[in-house]
Amino acid sequence: MKRKSSFLLDLLGIASAAIVAVLIGFIIILLVSDQPLQAMKSLLVDPISNAFNFGTVLNKATPLIFTGLALSVVFRAGVFSMGAEGQLYVGAFFGAWVATFIPGLPAAIHIPLILIFAMLGGALYGAIPGLLKAYYNANEIVSTLMLNFVATLSVSYLLNNVFKDPASGGYARMPYIQPSAKLGKFMEALPTHSGIFIAIAAAVIIYLFLYKTKGGYELRLVGENPLFAEYGGINTKKVIVLSVMISGALAGIGGVVEVIGLHGALKDQFSVGLGFDGIIIALLARNHPIGVIAAAFFYAYLQVGAQTMQMNSDVSRELAVIIQVLLVLLVSAQAIFAYLKQRVHRRKRGEANAL
Amino acid sequence: MLSNLWGQIIDLTIIAIILRVTVPILLSALGGLISDLAGVVNIGLEGLMLISAFTSIAVGSVTNSWLVGVLAGVAATVLISLAMGFFSLKMKVDIIIAGFAVNIFGSGFTIFMLNTVFGLTGNYNPEHLNKIPVIRIPFIDDIPLLGNLLSGHNLMVWISLLAVLFSFVLIYRTPYGVHLRSVGEAPDAARSLGIHVERIQYSALAWSGLFAGLAGAYFSMGLTSMFVKDMTAGTGFLGLAVVLFGNRNPIGVLLGSLLFGLANAITTLVETAPGAHIPSQFIKMIPYLVTVLALVIFAIRQKRKNLALS
Repeated sequence: MKRKSSFLLDLLGIASAAIVAVLIGFIIILLVSDQPLQAMKSLLVDPISNAFNFGTVLNKATPLIFTGLALSVVFRAGVFSMGAEGQLYVGAFFGAWVATFIPGLPAAIHIPLILIFAMLGGALYGAIPGLLKAYYNANEIVSTLMLNFVATLSVSYLLNNVFKDPASGGYARMPYIQPSAKLGKFMEALPTHSGIFIAIAAAVIIYLFLYKTKGGYELRLVGENPLFAEYGGINTKKVIVLSVMISGALAGIGGVVEVIGLHGALKDQFSVGLGFDGIIIALLARNHPIGVIAAAFFYAYLQVGAQTMQMNSDVSRELAVIIQVLLVLLVSAQAIFAYLKQRVHRRKRGEANAL
Repeated sequence: MLSNLWGQIIDLTIIAIILRVTVPILLSALGGLISDLAGVVNIGLEGLMLISAFTSIAVGSVTNSWLVGVLAGVAATVLISLAMGFFSLKMKVDIIIAGFAVNIFGSGFTIFMLNTVFGLTGNYNPEHLNKIPVIRIPFIDDIPLLGNLLSGHNLMVWISLLAVLFSFVLIYRTPYGVHLRSVGEAPDAARSLGIHVERIQYSALAWSGLFAGLAGAYFSMGLTSMFVKDMTAGTGFLGLAVVLFGNRNPIGVLLGSLLFGLANAITTLVETAPGAHIPSQFIKMIPYLVTVLALVIFAIRQKRKNLALS
């Protein structure tokens, strides 16, 4: 009962934080814009005003669900990895290679194979900072940030020099993927590819893993109290490495789903910070896999809204970044949430006393 | 290509090139160091530098004074660092998350302002800019080798070297430094001795803001004479790595920064040399790989030390 009310309070708090952040965004619009009403309407209404925009929101939410899940898993294990961006590139490269250069498979085999390779790539790349953290206690924030650069530069090299499609001209990309590798649309009216279902399935699987399996329990325990976990006989080193590998696998699928769903070929620099957006998603979702779906949707909504706002008014779409920052700070402010809980608690106790 | 490189080593121009690129790494690393020592590691250096790079060149070009520009940039970053302190110490946002937020804020806010104030999208390239001056020392300037070594550096080169000395004295030779380190190592013990833990941490963040502010101003008004979006390109993260690499002390930070500066300088030399066949991506990767390697070496050394202690 108490857990439930605390959960609801959290939810309420996060929703209010979102509203406050958007309201501050509105105030900024009022300050800088000559057509504030137009800008606000564009930001809030346009993403859901037609099927195309709404489909774009879903498309944008798809990779964010994956990276949000990726970071939720490591954060749950108490590892502050910022490496989803690099893992996403490595996974996307592994998967895209299978998607592009293995012809003649039926889609029902090809697509799972691509996903498996992407998971492998991401997981192996995630294992590096995981092992460094677990066995050498090397600071994972710095190591993952550095490895992000190494990954994006390596993939960029491979795309420019080794696997470049000769027909791609000025910018670097692999040849287009095989037809059997393509994730198609699932509804004629929406421009959305079916990657969103893979994303939702991944969220459900991660939920089941974290809350219904021994491995997930161990992972959460290591994050909450590593000494206690160690004392209880859990191999914390193994759990840490495993958590970063799962995280890398998720980021890797996120990357390749962008390739086979949206772009149709692996392009240089295709992810503009999806891995970092995942950090925000995980924070908003309080590292809960189902919450990640909602947070990713909200985040994508905000991004599409910012784009339509930039098109239809004089406000730059970077306003969305400012709203995101406010949101991150408000949602992570433990003082606010502790205060709220305390007040509710006190009020309840007050009622009990009155009776 | 190699003979060109060799020539620059012989006549010591390479020193000037190294120092040029070392400045922002060194300054941001010093900022990271002081905040790290006080237990509030500022990972928002990257965003802070961007904010200062933009603010300083915008104010500097409007007022036509580099000094006013630098001061404005530093003021902006110190303010934001203090805001970080407010969110972290008062609102209990994890300091890493607060720093992360500052990084995305720095990138987004500068692009937003570029668009809102100047109506530009990618970069701001003012026609008249009074840059941070280059210091030519009369007389020494004419001596062949010594001239290249000591003269003709940007003012910020000297400021950054002085900042190392300043940090050293501040950390190891003042009561404030003792408080700073004790707050970082054992905040509860420090508090029980009557040290104002929060006040020290606020001040440590302000120092990091000051150094990041200077580094940012150097980006737009020393190293170049324009603001380009996301122009810091990971320097703040290198700075953080240097803090660990330099064993968390100012002298180590100086040596680490110089090493990274060297890697950077070689990158530029090899990249711009005619007939070079090494792909640029691999050269760009060097500092990051060195950092990971340094992290591992540092961690192994730490582990040995702990083993020896126990």
